[in-house]
Amino acid sequence: MTDFTRLLPSALFFLCLLLLGFYLKKQDAQKRQSNFSKEYFIGGRSLNGFVLAMTLVATYGSVSSFVGGPGVAWQKGFAWVLFASVQIIAAYLILGIFGKKMAVIARKIDAITIIDLIRFRYKSNILANLCALVLLVFFTTQMIAQFIGGAQIFAAVTGMSYTTGLLFFAIVVIIYTTIGGFRTVAITDTVCAIMMLLGMFFLAFAILQQGGGLQNIMHSLQAVSHVPNNIDLLSPTASGSVPIPLLMSQWILCGIGTIALPQSAVRCISYKDTQSVHRAMIIGTIVCGAMMVGMPLLGVLARGVITVPLAQLGGNTDKIMPMLIANYMNPWLAGITIIGPLAATMSTISSLLIAGSSAIVKDIYLFYNKNANNVENQKTLSYISTTITALMGIITVIMALHPPDIIVWINLFAFGGLETAFFWILLLGFFWHRANSHGAVLSLVGGLAAYCLCTAYGLKISSFHNIVIGIGSGAVFFIIGSIWGKAPDEKIKRIFFPERY
Amino acid sequence: MKKLSYKEKFIQMNREARIICIITAIIIIFWWLMAFGINQDITFFSLPVWFIGACIGTYLLTVILIIFAVKKFFVDFDLDDEITKRTDD
Repeated sequence: MTDFTRLLPSALFFLCLLLLGFYLKKQDAQKRQSNFSKEYFIGGRSLNGFVLAMTLVATYGSVSSFVGGPGVAWQKGFAWVLFASVQIIAAYLILGIFGKKMAVIARKIDAITIIDLIRFRYKSNILANLCALVLLVFFTTQMIAQFIGGAQIFAAVTGMSYTTGLLFFAIVVIIYTTIGGFRTVAITDTVCAIMMLLGMFFLAFAILQQGGGLQNIMHSLQAVSHVPNNIDLLSPTASGSVPIPLLMSQWILCGIGTIALPQSAVRCISYKDTQSVHRAMIIGTIVCGAMMVGMPLLGVLARGVITVPLAQLGGNTDKIMPMLIANYMNPWLAGITIIGPLAATMSTISSLLIAGSSAIVKDIYLFYNKNANNVENQKTLSYISTTITALMGIITVIMALHPPDIIVWINLFAFGGLETAFFWILLLGFFWHRANSHGAVLSLVGGLAAYCLCTAYGLKISSFHNIVIGIGSGAVFFIIGSIWGKAPDEKIKRIFFPERY
Repeated sequence: MKKLSYKEKFIQMNREARIICIITAIIIIFWWLMAFGINQDITFFSLPVWFIGACIGTYLLTVILIIFAVKKFFVDFDLDDEITKRTDD
């Protein structure tokens, strides 16, 4: 049964995103003629503080922040809010550490992708190609996971079939990303972030109302916790099911490690001026923290509303949030609230899509066909870029049509892989003058191999997440390689480390 | 907006990065203290106090520290390098 009232708000929202895409494309048409790739892939370095903050948070906040995470919080209680709350630092950390340095250097050497910066810093095409490959593989898996998550919740709430739901919103996101490019992605992200906050607000309202107020909900949580063999929802380790080593690794995986996500880092070279980045640090922290603490908290409180045992839901906590929206909200509010998780999904996909396409076009195609960037070839370049963006989107959607299980874990695998690959390359590349291509290649290959093999074979050190192995071994490989290899030459050091001269 | 040479910008940016590291260390320590340093049974408005401290408290602390750091230590300068280009190269 497809419910019209539940569908109308999202349909309007999609229409609004599409119109924004077409409008912004028209506005940029002039600038695109002279330097297409700079306009299309980083929006001509024009983002202001508010848009920068919102696009960063919206890219980072995904379907797992809206559906997967709160679902687990419903099961494990406040420990999961604690687990998610480390992400409070995600917005300011990357901007504070890399924000200005990347911006200054990217302007100096005219870089428009993160891989441009890496290629220049390490003077290694092998490294740049490896980075592009890793980025494309993990971006694709992440996009598929996002498509699946978004389509599932959309189907669950509106009563559409999974396939129709997927095609419905996938086509929208692919069209506006393809025609609009980075600036459209950033501005639609801003709209998405606002809808995410609004959705969260409505959800909070519905949960408190349906649960009979905070006091009542907390009483039922306490009652559930006191039943023997149940998880204590009020303990910071969820009766040991969120162990301390896992919390420690969470600080790396979703805290400090997030500075290495290329889709976030590219935002550091796309903003206008220092005032923008300063303002974005503050706004980003306020919004990111509210979302990362707020959503899982709502998941916990939902336990006072949805009281059936997990087995009755097929053991799948991903069903909690869709069920809450579909069964416990008035249809109009539900229609607006469903935009929240869809917006979270779309804003993440659009950013991955444009960054993935930039890796193919700018880092591979343009690098090997330098003439293609000439002024007279800008039209062809625009053709190629939009085709590649569209193709990439279509391929991932086709793969998402026959989906595997559990969103959270697929997503976290790609997530940890990207962090392992890029963490030391970016951090040491910008802050350690000895860092060289030997260290970088070794750390990327070695760290990633260690991370993927351990994850694949289920090897673990106590209950630490494997990101600790990935980043840890990456560091060792990097330092060995850098000391063993030759130090970078003078010209690079003068650009990246002028303070040493 | 401050006029800085290319080199001075890097000295300033390294200083800002150091401050961000210190702030992050403070936040992480505060989070662990709140999460595991408080008796689990104390509640406030029937919410566990460790949760209020570690999640809401850390959030507020982070926002305050970042506003403070940005206003106090972060400097506005030109991201482009046109003025110093000739002298540097």
